[in-house]
Amino acid sequence: MKTDLEFSDLRKGDTFAEFPLSVTADEVLAYLDATGESPAIWTKHVPPLFLDALVVAELLAQVKIPKGVMHTGQEHESHRAARIDEVLTVRMGVAALSEKRGVTLAAFEADVRDAAGEPVTTMRISVMVAPDGVTV
Amino acid sequence: MTAPQVPSVTRRIEQERVDRYAVAGRDPNPIHRETPEAYAGPFGRPAAHGMILLAMVSEAMGAAFGLAWAETGSFKVRWRSPALPPVTVTASATLKKEQDGLATYEVAVQDEHGETLLTGTAAARTA
Repeated sequence: MKTDLEFSDLRKGDTFAEFPLSVTADEVLAYLDATGESPAIWTKHVPPLFLDALVVAELLAQVKIPKGVMHTGQEHESHRAARIDEVLTVRMGVAALSEKRGVTLAAFEADVRDAAGEPVTTMRISVMVAPDGVTV
Repeated sequence: MTAPQVPSVTRRIEQERVDRYAVAGRDPNPIHRETPEAYAGPFGRPAAHGMILLAMVSEAMGAAFGLAWAETGSFKVRWRSPALPPVTVTASATLKKEQDGLATYEVAVQDEHGETLLTGTAAARTA
């Protein structure tokens, strides 16, 4: 899903529309090929960080990311391993948003659940946006 | 199970790997690729995705804990400096404490010059 949501429109407490997330075996292999990790233990399950990467990708798709954005931090908690081809649902929202001397700090929290509504993974994505022309 | 030693992971990151990650990880941000935006950006050249470095931490924890890493693992990290390809980086984890069946490690990624690119903690259950 793509939207035209501007980063400057975001407010703390905003939530995004839920979106489905499912990962195929080929997608896992392509991810592992890119990162360099062996696929040995990931024949039936999704590497936990790949879930984070795909949620970050959805964030990039939903919000117009301004010039000068930097991914500054990541938190993750696995509640169980996600299975390949399993249909998951992601809820994401703006957990924190502040601005100081033109630099915006934002954090997004995402909750990944299975078809039964049970938690699979929770994560927090922290970003910093510097004004144009500022080197950080 | 007692807290296992986590093996270090060392890898050469070339631009070609970054380009492949941009596709596989669905992160097309031009600051990571050979684009005018990257050369006009804060680092003066393309920077690898921070998630590639974090993936090496996850790889190290997975090597030590196996599937239990995906079932019970957690981490909290911050990126400190960019990885500018070509660069050789090493992800490492040092046991910090083991309590109530939870092993917690200090994790870091450094480049070949000893510069710290990422720091944080990672944990997984041993029981």
